[in-house]
Amino acid sequence: MEKYWDKEIETMSREDMKQLQSERLVKQVKNVYENVKYYRDLMDENGVKPEDIKSIDDLHKLPFLSKADLRDAYPYGLLARPLGDCVRIQSTSGTTGRRVVAFYTQNDVDMWENCCARAITAAGGTNEDVCQVAYGYGLFTGGPGLNGGSHKVGCLTLPMSSGNTERQIQFMRDLNATILCCTPSYAAYIGETIHDMGLSPDDIKLKAGIFGAEPWTEEMRQTIEKSLGIKAYDIYGLTETSGPGVAFECSEQTGMHINEDNFIPEIIDPDTGEVLPDGEVGELVFTSITKEAFPLLRYRTRDLCVLSRGKCSCGRTLVKMTKPMGRSDDMMIIRGVNVFPSQIETVLIAEGYAPNYIIEVDRVNNSDTLDISVEMKPEQFSDKVKDMQDQERALALSIKTMLGINPKVHLVSPKSIARSEGKAVRVIDKRKLHDTPAKK
Amino acid sequence: MAYVRQISVFLDNKPNQLTGVMKLLKNHTINIRALSIADTKDFGILRMIVDDTEKAVDTLREASYAVAETEIVAITIPDTPGQLSRVLDILGEQNVNIEYLYAFLGKSDRSVSFVIRVDDNDAAYAALESGGIIRLTSNDISEM
Repeated sequence: MEKYWDKEIETMSREDMKQLQSERLVKQVKNVYENVKYYRDLMDENGVKPEDIKSIDDLHKLPFLSKADLRDAYPYGLLARPLGDCVRIQSTSGTTGRRVVAFYTQNDVDMWENCCARAITAAGGTNEDVCQVAYGYGLFTGGPGLNGGSHKVGCLTLPMSSGNTERQIQFMRDLNATILCCTPSYAAYIGETIHDMGLSPDDIKLKAGIFGAEPWTEEMRQTIEKSLGIKAYDIYGLTETSGPGVAFECSEQTGMHINEDNFIPEIIDPDTGEVLPDGEVGELVFTSITKEAFPLLRYRTRDLCVLSRGKCSCGRTLVKMTKPMGRSDDMMIIRGVNVFPSQIETVLIAEGYAPNYIIEVDRVNNSDTLDISVEMKPEQFSDKVKDMQDQERALALSIKTMLGINPKVHLVSPKSIARSEGKAVRVIDKRKLHDTPAKK
Repeated sequence: MAYVRQISVFLDNKPNQLTGVMKLLKNHTINIRALSIADTKDFGILRMIVDDTEKAVDTLREASYAVAETEIVAITIPDTPGQLSRVLDILGEQNVNIEYLYAFLGKSDRSVSFVIRVDDNDAAYAALESGGIIRLTSNDISEM
């Protein structure tokens, strides 16, 4: 029997949802136009007045907002409420080098935590569960978001934060944690450590995991599910809109339901900005229609995915997004070919390697090079050089078949690639060093 | 027939890899009888015969090294010209394919010992036996 955190919203008819979104959008546009100079200027520049937005059918008339706008307006330029109404600041991890700060009123925090509560409920969580939150706490939204959602659901919450893996496992065992929340790379590492400690999934009580904050593949899901003996659910979000919980996976595990009563999604052509129909791959754009302090309209996430509104077996009517194929930031263009780390990860796991790898891209004599260092599993080692080189060649060939370009594969020792307790760093693009002139 | 067991260890192509293995063996007072390293552009493979194979394998695995155990043929031959050539002829006549071989210090300074990795240990043993080549057992090697 499927359980919902907010059944009315999660199973609302399309017409009612559209009505609700339209009402909230009209109000939000009026709000930002009146209260945020940055938006007023931007809309005036584009010749759009609040009166032009009568329903979500008019959404496309609004200008886009990008990370560059957030930098321009840093720190208070997009604030729609007096600071006295705000109770919280969170910040991006700065993966792409520039931090973004987001502000929250108490209602914003509640909305965000309720979104996380929907995700925990969809993963089977109830007040009977013990929820171990091993996302980082602090400015990063992972820990606070899931922590809040876990409280709302009434789970006994273990606010572990990330790191100290043996202690994580000890608490997990001593306190019978049933739900684990962390990044997928950290979940894989916990699974590996459990195995190294001579324990099996039977020694822990976990039944579900909610993993997000970085792209991960279906193959990675299977690896984690097996090593921890759980069902692994994806969760999606970004600090700019709130944090994790913008979208979450249900028991069907075929994409994430977007909490579209709060965030209206659109898919656009990243080059032209044109809105694309459901089913087409494009850049995901969000409009926050309930946020009070830091409402972003038509914010370009740079995540590439597909939206679908088909019937879901879980009974939810909320629109679904596929796992992002990668952030357009993560995409590498190597010899003119678009390459996502997730494509390489898919091949590695399919060929029996652990998802521990480093991708190095460089430019030698004006030609791009792609070097992939992959950890071997102990049983993949042979005393014959020929066998090892054959393995490297076979893996390079599989990757070439997937990407269309020839990589160099280097097998390295087990556990020689540093494990991540938060977001994993998998790509080193040395070309950027050559392209950027040194600054004093 | 109990063959001699060899340990191989994968070495990443970066500084201090061999040092790491040697320190571990030292700390566990494991003595090396024979050793060779195959190196490629990307990685190295350290091959050893030690006095306590099990302890060495457990120690190295615990430290997360990729370790393989292989059965190899060990022989000792007189230290005079043409002896290795003779051994290779004997193996060649029986179509035994050699993957690699390396020499190590023998019992006396008038003989030399070899580790030979072949694709068919039984065939190699039979050929060496009929050719009158002295084979070494694990005991022979650990008593050296």
